[in-house]
Amino acid sequence: MSITSPTDSPTAVRGEAVHLAWLRPSRLRGANNEGILALVIILLAVIVGTISPSFWAAGTIINLAGTSISTLLFALGVLLVLVSGGIDVSFLAIGAFAAYATVKAIVTVGLGSSSVIFPFLIAAGLGVVLGLINAAAVVGLRIPTLIATLGTQGIIRGVLITYIGSRVISDLPPTLSGLSTSYLLVAEGTTRTPLSVLFVPVAAITLLVALLLRSTVFGRGIYAVGGHAEFARRAGFPVSRIQVGVYALAGLLAGLGGMVHVILVREADPFTLVGGELDVIAAVVLGGASIFGGRGSVLGTVLGVVLISLINNSLLLLGVPGFWQRAAVGLMLLIGVSAQAWRGRRRPPTTDDPTAPGSSDSLTASQPKGDVA
Amino acid sequence: MTSTHESVDRDRRRARAPRGTIGLIGLAMAVALLCTFTVPRFASVVNVQSMAFQVAEIGLLSLVIAISMYTAGIDLSLVSVANLSALVTAQLFVVTGAATADPGTSVLLTVLCAGAGMATGAVCGAINGLIITKLRVSPILATLGTMQLFNGLAIAWTSGESVYGMPDAFLMLGTQYLLGVPLPFVVLAVVAVLAAVLMGSRPLGFRIYVLGSNSEASRFAGVPNARVLLATYVLCGMISAVAGLVIAARSASASPDYGASYLLLAIVIAVLGGTNPNGGSGTLLGVVIAAITLQMVSSGFNLLGLSQFTYQVVQGLILIAVMGIGLLMKSWDPNKVFSPKQKRPAPEAGSDDKTEQQTPNGDNKKEKAHV
Repeated sequence: MSITSPTDSPTAVRGEAVHLAWLRPSRLRGANNEGILALVIILLAVIVGTISPSFWAAGTIINLAGTSISTLLFALGVLLVLVSGGIDVSFLAIGAFAAYATVKAIVTVGLGSSSVIFPFLIAAGLGVVLGLINAAAVVGLRIPTLIATLGTQGIIRGVLITYIGSRVISDLPPTLSGLSTSYLLVAEGTTRTPLSVLFVPVAAITLLVALLLRSTVFGRGIYAVGGHAEFARRAGFPVSRIQVGVYALAGLLAGLGGMVHVILVREADPFTLVGGELDVIAAVVLGGASIFGGRGSVLGTVLGVVLISLINNSLLLLGVPGFWQRAAVGLMLLIGVSAQAWRGRRRPPTTDDPTAPGSSDSLTASQPKGDVA
Repeated sequence: MTSTHESVDRDRRRARAPRGTIGLIGLAMAVALLCTFTVPRFASVVNVQSMAFQVAEIGLLSLVIAISMYTAGIDLSLVSVANLSALVTAQLFVVTGAATADPGTSVLLTVLCAGAGMATGAVCGAINGLIITKLRVSPILATLGTMQLFNGLAIAWTSGESVYGMPDAFLMLGTQYLLGVPLPFVVLAVVAVLAAVLMGSRPLGFRIYVLGSNSEASRFAGVPNARVLLATYVLCGMISAVAGLVIAARSASASPDYGASYLLLAIVIAVLGGTNPNGGSGTLLGVVIAAITLQMVSSGFNLLGLSQFTYQVVQGLILIAVMGIGLLMKSWDPNKVFSPKQKRPAPEAGSDDKTEQQTPNGDNKKEKAHV
């Protein structure tokens, strides 16, 4: 499955031609280098597997899948915002807020403790509300997205710790703790590696976001807004409604991500999560999303998250001390963005593709500067 | 030629004193007065000195963000560079045994090791600059990568541990006073003045503003864009290294993980100080004032017994309020602030605005600036 961006060639249409087109190198490579990323992942897996055969145990793959599901939810929210042409650094604060407030509400007033669904609904609702605050700052006050979400990050985290609670809740309510120990399957090996049952809903949400970006008017609108807000508006897209929708959705995904995180680590800690924003953004960028908007795919994001989690997991198997993880991820990210820049330079951006990755001056060169001359 | 010179002069004046600086000084005075009258012991010598100790490191880091923003870029790697430079210095102290050497040798070693730390910062900055200019990666992505790489190297080098054992001559930097002014603050003032002179009256500073205003135009005007960008990031790396040395002297240790929260705070201060994230304008004076203002708020909250997290809320509210009010009053040039990132020729931008006003649904407000 490859999600095409609007900048893709017009030949990439549904129908019989697709079957043949799949075999073309450009299709295999993917619109956002997904193919190359998949190849890197496979190569890395083969190398690690050759050096350390224990890599091929079912437990490794299950561990990979299990540990990255909350990161994946956050990454999907980041993807939506990046595609729409913004940057969000408040999503982890939103996730921590939504999850902690939900758990606290259940523990103290017993709100929604009757079903496992309710906590997720509450967290998602809180996420949407907080996402709408972002939308108000970005769309209403028109503050640049990085700065707006920096501000809301501080506000959300401060309110959480000052007014909601600063104590770690380590005995989760029964419905949630039951979920913590519900496993889809357990790989038996030298160590038992369980796969959380939450893998299924996260996979379903991932598919839904892919579907949303690929096949709905709203989803195509996000690409259009990120590609060029002015052109999108003239083409009839309701730009601000799309942006509000993007931030609300990103908030929803962050709320769910926070809840999944709480269930995986089995405690609600208001101090957790915040600080790792750029790591998640790095995974999404590695997955081919352009930080300048208009480009990116769910498949690429999934691969980016998997690659970073693979690097983190496999270095230990290779006998490299864990202290090298961060340097390895940084190096991988630099190689990734350099390759994108190189590819973008070889194929000069066309007029309808002003934000191709690697038009390195996107941040520097292409601002209209009416007052210089 | 004359018209070029006039516009250059105008551009320079605008770059030096954007309209926001006066308002910022007013805000700082208001905060100072408010805290003096409502917070006990706020204006005491001890508290003022303690604020001056604390503001230095974040002030230096904010200068880095501001300078990188003048070129319409950003240096996200600054905290990693600061920590790596401090670690190089600290490790050299340990290797050379500077802490236990006799006083004369100790001072010499202190200078040499601190110099090595500064050189580390310059090398890191040069790596950033080369990735940006040679590989043509956008600054935000390049420094996002090097941030992780430099931090990763520091963690791998020390196995995540802190390094102790610094000579007294070096620790003086973090504990002593010059005429009653704490040395870290003196360092901040000296660096800020030097950088302001560089930005205001040296060709490099002028070229940085021009490049940030419009890199295409600056290229046509004969500015060696790549060299200017490289120099900018080397400068950023060196100021980051100074910040790292101040941090190390104040905490008597060097750690790969120190001050991760400083990155976002430095961006907040730079933007509050009137730096345009899209490049081309802002003053270092404004940045220093913004850093001092936030430090006063933080200190006032501390003395009132409010938590640092309440301060975070206020910090966020100040940022959004200042940005929101600033944008609503259009105190910044709207063409710059609301500029979409695309290559829309400048004259067209004006005509676009006219057509936008004619659209009945008022959608023209919906375009947002991108960072």
